[in-house]
Amino acid sequence: MRLNTEFMKETFWLALEGVPITLKITIIALFISIILGFILALVEIHRVRVATPIITAYVSLIRGTPQVLQILIVYSLIPSLLNAIVQKMEINFSVWDIEPIVYAYIVFTINTTALLTETFRSALLSIDKLQMEAALSVGLTPFWANVRIIFPQAFEAALPNICTTTVNLIKGTSLAFMMSVKEVTAIAKTQASYGYNFIESYLDIFVIYLILCLLVQGIFAIIEKQAQAHRKIVRSV
Amino acid sequence: MGSYRVFEPSFIWYAIGKILPYIGVTFAVVITTLIVSILFGALLARAKIRGKWGKVIADGYTAVFRCIPSIVLIYLVYYGLPQFVEHFTGVDINNWNKGIFIVLAFSLSFSAFISEIMRAAYDSVDAIQHEAALSIGLTETQAFWRIIFPQAVRFALPNIANIITSLMKEGALAYTIGLIDMMGAGKNIINMNYGSYTLETYLGLFIIYWVLTKTIEILFAQIEKQLSKGRKTIAG
Repeated sequence: MRLNTEFMKETFWLALEGVPITLKITIIALFISIILGFILALVEIHRVRVATPIITAYVSLIRGTPQVLQILIVYSLIPSLLNAIVQKMEINFSVWDIEPIVYAYIVFTINTTALLTETFRSALLSIDKLQMEAALSVGLTPFWANVRIIFPQAFEAALPNICTTTVNLIKGTSLAFMMSVKEVTAIAKTQASYGYNFIESYLDIFVIYLILCLLVQGIFAIIEKQAQAHRKIVRSV
Repeated sequence: MGSYRVFEPSFIWYAIGKILPYIGVTFAVVITTLIVSILFGALLARAKIRGKWGKVIADGYTAVFRCIPSIVLIYLVYYGLPQFVEHFTGVDINNWNKGIFIVLAFSLSFSAFISEIMRAAYDSVDAIQHEAALSIGLTETQAFWRIIFPQAVRFALPNIANIITSLMKEGALAYTIGLIDMMGAGKNIINMNYGSYTLETYLGLFIIYWVLTKTIEILFAQIEKQLSKGRKTIAG
């Protein structure tokens, strides 16, 4: 066995073409999940009747089950469900024309939202109650006290966990091939099975995922530094 | 995909009954991987705490393997390792039990995770504890096993629970190379019914996995409570 370097180079560039898809899923799922997760965390904390137990159950169910199973369930449930609705309402629309990547958006958003809800919940709870009292005492309304004082601190506290979740999200997108999405792993898998060049193909994407994750960690390190920058100024004054 | 058929809730229970006998395979993967990862993770953690070049290598290893998706590791080990071994030793390991490949693949990443937990747990114990232990005449080994280790374990407990549940959840990928664990059994049920009870079977699996992770979480929370009790009496 000698590594087929020619094949390896070729596959590396091919697999790189899957990176935009991987990133697209990651960014869209992350963007929606941050907003949704934050709102759900607020609702969960404020003990809203009916809503809070539902959110708690949702978070527990998603965190307690394998991601691959969530993918398989969504991918077998949603198309049939949509189809049934479309048929019943006699809409002229073929569910089977929906791009597979849409299901990837749905699955990874459902999953990441649950993880981030938990992250934001603990981040919000980590903020000292005195911060709120101090903000109110200087005349801020409760709304502005939250927006200006509590939320920014909570976001800062949540950043390391958001970074971990993002890394796990990228790793998770490697399962999108199960929904026939042509992302990095899917391309390597197809390439590998042509000529049984398994080691070469999977080493290729090993490197690609490594680069992606290191980049994400680097970006978050910069954001965290930015977020903490204001602290030093306050302290040194 | 998706024939028009009414959802059959009773099939969920049927599926659970058919899947549960395979719970042993799932746990065998979890426990074996855990043992291998603890041994290798301890080496890494030791290097991180004591080593010079060892620390660089161990940190690098952890950074790399934290980034690689489990499915890539599984494919690399399952399809790649036999080619590799055959070339260098001429031994054909293609017929090895699939569980071995799964355990090897997961051990690569989980020993990295576990080494981080061990390092953090070790760091959590105050250095004074170590000095105090030596000052009353304990040897290094005694100081570690009798003083540092018990305290570190208590600190690490929540993380250990996390590792076990995530190992079990990631382990669900083993079916992708044909291991018949709970997921594999579920896939078999689906195939035997020509795909008609897909959703019900998956929901059965979903319930089983959720109950298992919850049980592990509750169990570890109890253990933690027990261990914290002792701490209070000493402090008080």
